[in-house]
Amino acid sequence: MSDLARYFALDVPSLLAILAMMAVTYATRVTGYLVLRNRALSSRATAVLEAVPGAVLISVIAPAFTTTNPADLLGLAVTLAMACRFPMLPTVIVGVAVTALLRHVL
Amino acid sequence: MTATALPDDVAPDEREPGRSVWAEFRRGLAAMAPILLGVAPFALVLGSQAAMKGLSPLEVALMCGLNFAGGSEFVAIELWRSPPQIALIAGMTLLVNCRHLLMGASFAPHLRRLRPWQAALVLFVMADETWALGMDDARRRMAVTGRPGISLPYYAGLAVSLYIAWVAVTVLGAVVGPVLGNPHAYGFDMAFTAVFLVLIRGMWRGWRRALPWPVSLGVAAVTHLAVPGAWYVPAGTLAGLAVAYFVAGTETREAAP
Repeated sequence: MSDLARYFALDVPSLLAILAMMAVTYATRVTGYLVLRNRALSSRATAVLEAVPGAVLISVIAPAFTTTNPADLLGLAVTLAMACRFPMLPTVIVGVAVTALLRHVL
Repeated sequence: MTATALPDDVAPDEREPGRSVWAEFRRGLAAMAPILLGVAPFALVLGSQAAMKGLSPLEVALMCGLNFAGGSEFVAIELWRSPPQIALIAGMTLLVNCRHLLMGASFAPHLRRLRPWQAALVLFVMADETWALGMDDARRRMAVTGRPGISLPYYAGLAVSLYIAWVAVTVLGAVVGPVLGNPHAYGFDMAFTAVFLVLIRGMWRGWRRALPWPVSLGVAAVTHLAVPGAWYVPAGTLAGLAVAYFVAGTETREAAP
């Protein structure tokens, strides 16, 4: 098989699995919106919904806090300190650079 | 040029004269740029893992372009056999992506004024990053204009840059992946953490409102250590929301005479 044909290979079971993923994922994306779109919420429910972004974001990055690698821990501490005071770009650059450096040195 | 001249903590009113759709779109591109730095290594790894499992670059492009939810794609590739077990992959995709239910619910007030097809498109490209930055911007705008609503061209800028980068770099990974070393050595994975920490800092509304955060972090971390898979995200999120529910309850009682 030529390289080009290999790049564009597409078999039916793989396509079906991909379409199933698309359907399931899109359902998760629209359902929360459809349920709440035309509904007035109590102040308590609003407070809980307002807490969703922080709770999701902090849960997604939680594995970074479980590391026992000293370089990763120090890198995380520096990144956390940067994030408390500085805007996005400097925090990302310093966080990545310090972590890479520590991983090579430690 | 007004887009770059504005300090980034000033939310522009959508009715502000001189702020064109194009300027808002570019503001979205610029806001997503630092995140792409963190996304690209993940996309390379995903693409090269997919290639090792026997997916063609076209299949990788279809999966990333039609599903567009990175976490579930890593899980799907991990579970991929030839032929793939469709029910298993669909089930795991549902588990990993069920956080979208809450994200879509919290996004709903900001999408009310959109036409149905616009909302459908906005939700199709709602990923952790586009949603987080879109919500952040909508919240700032609400502080100025007093009403909810996202800036559609700003969100389009976020989504277009993330979408193109995600699909293009995973395909690149599928083509050149086996040649690359381990991107972990370069520290790029910290970019994600950095971006999310800055976004969380932006949500600071005093200690009381931040009480769910340490609880979410702790529960998610322990779940991550104890349970294989992506269960730590729903576990941490629900624990934090339980705290928010009780905190909101005490506020109501204190407010009553």
